[in-house]
Amino acid sequence: MKNPVSRREFLAGAGAIGSLLLVGCDADAYLPPKVRGGLMGVSDVLTMATQRLMLSGQPLAQEHDVSEITKNFPTWGNTNPRQEDFQRLLSGEFVDWRLPVNGLVNRPISLSLEDLKRLPQRTQITMHICEQGWSAIGQWTGAPLLEVLRAAGGVADDARYVVVDTFDGWYESYDMFDVVHPQTILAYGLNGKDLPLGNGAPVRLRVERACGYKNLKFLKSINVVSSMEGIRGGTGGINSDSNWHWYAGA
Amino acid sequence: MVAFCYLVVSGVHIFLDFPELYWGKVGFRGYDAVFRLSDWGISWDEAGAMGNRRWGRNYHFLFAWISVINGTIYVGWNLWNKYFHKNLFLGRNELNWQSLKTDFVDHVRLRVSKGTSVGRYSGLQKISYLIVIFILSPFMILSGLAQMPAFTAISPELIDLFGGRQTARTLHVICMLWMILFLVVHVVEVFVAGAVNEIRSMITGKYVVPKEDVE
Repeated sequence: MKNPVSRREFLAGAGAIGSLLLVGCDADAYLPPKVRGGLMGVSDVLTMATQRLMLSGQPLAQEHDVSEITKNFPTWGNTNPRQEDFQRLLSGEFVDWRLPVNGLVNRPISLSLEDLKRLPQRTQITMHICEQGWSAIGQWTGAPLLEVLRAAGGVADDARYVVVDTFDGWYESYDMFDVVHPQTILAYGLNGKDLPLGNGAPVRLRVERACGYKNLKFLKSINVVSSMEGIRGGTGGINSDSNWHWYAGA
Repeated sequence: MVAFCYLVVSGVHIFLDFPELYWGKVGFRGYDAVFRLSDWGISWDEAGAMGNRRWGRNYHFLFAWISVINGTIYVGWNLWNKYFHKNLFLGRNELNWQSLKTDFVDHVRLRVSKGTSVGRYSGLQKISYLIVIFILSPFMILSGLAQMPAFTAISPELIDLFGGRQTARTLHVICMLWMILFLVVHVVEVFVAGAVNEIRSMITGKYVVPKEDVE
C-alpha cells in the first residue's frame, strides 16, 4: 500500500499552509513558483514569507553616496558570452540588438537600445551582493522593468512571472512583487558610462534586494507567463533547476 | 548541538567558496582583505574544490531556522518558568572578583565541584552561558541577516550598525570561533565532571552525587 501523502509532500505542504495562514489570500508574493520537497521546502518558504512580509511596504534598497561607488566594479562569472549571435551583436556595438517582450503582454514589442533609453530612466547607487560573499557599490542607470511592460501595453490579468533569458543560456523568473518595484531596472549604464562587457553589456537586470545570480547579465528576451510549468526545469530559474532556492533575498 | 555542528560545517563550505574576509561595506577578489586563506597555503581553487556551496547554503539556512525556532522555545520557556532566574542569573554573592577568581582557577585546574555545590552552576559557568545565550547567539543571527540582500531594504540600519556588509560577514566568522571555543571548553568540562552522569542530567534532570562527596 502506498501512503496517499508522502512525508516529504506533507512537510512541503505544511510549510506552504503555514505561510498561507500568515498572509491570507495573497499567496503569490510569499511562495516560489515551485516549493522544493522535504524540510528544505519548509526552510525556503519560511525565509521567503518572513522576508516578503517585512518587505510588504515595498521599501527601496539602500542607496549610497557617490563617494562610495566602487572604482573598477568587479566582473564575475561569464564576462564575454562566446555564443555566435552575441558575438555578432558585440562586433556591431549592439546597434542590431533587440529585446523582444512577449507572452502575456497586451502588445508584444521588440526594443532597441535606443528605444530602451527613451523610456523613463532611473539611476540608483546600490550595493551588488553576490551569493558567494563579495559586494560592491555601483551606479546603475536604466529603464524600470515596469516601464518596459507598460510600453508593451501592460500585462494580462493572469500574468504572474516575468521570465528573462540571456545570451549565455541563463534564465530566471521574477514574480510581480519584484517586477513592480521601482528599483527593478534594465540597466544599460554603470557609473555614468555604457554598461561594460564584463558587467553584462548591452543590458543587464538590476533586482536590488536579491543576490547577484538574480541580476542577470547579457539580456536576450523577456517573456511574461502565468506559470513556470513546462519552462525548462519548471522551477523558475537556472539556479533553482539545480536545487538552489528560487527566492534570492537570501 | 547537531544544529550547531551543521551550521559550522555548512558555514565553512560557504566560506571555502569565497575564502577571503574584508572590512567595511565592499569587498571582492582583489580588494584589500583582512584575511586570505591563500596566505595559509590553501589557494583559491583548492578551497573551492573542498567546499560545496550549494549544499552549504541549503543546510545553513535550514539549520539556522531550526536553531532560531529551537532557541526561541528554549529561551521563552526558561524565562517563563523562571529557570534562568533561579539557575543562571548571578546572585550578589557570586558577583565579586574573589569568588570568580577562585572559580576560574578551579576550572583551569580541572577541579570538579564537590559536596553542596554539586548540581549548581558556578559563577563563571553562569556568565559564560549568559554570554552564549544572550550575546553570541543573537549576534550570530543579526550578523547573518545583515549579509542578506533583502536587508538592504528591510533594515539598512542593521547593516550600518555592523559597519557594512563585509564587516558583518567577518564578525559572523569571528563570533563563530568564540562559540566553538565555548563548545570545546564546555565538552571538556563535561567529560571531566563525568560524561554519563552529566549528559543524563541534561536530558532527564537527574544528577547522581558521587557517594564519597556526600557529607
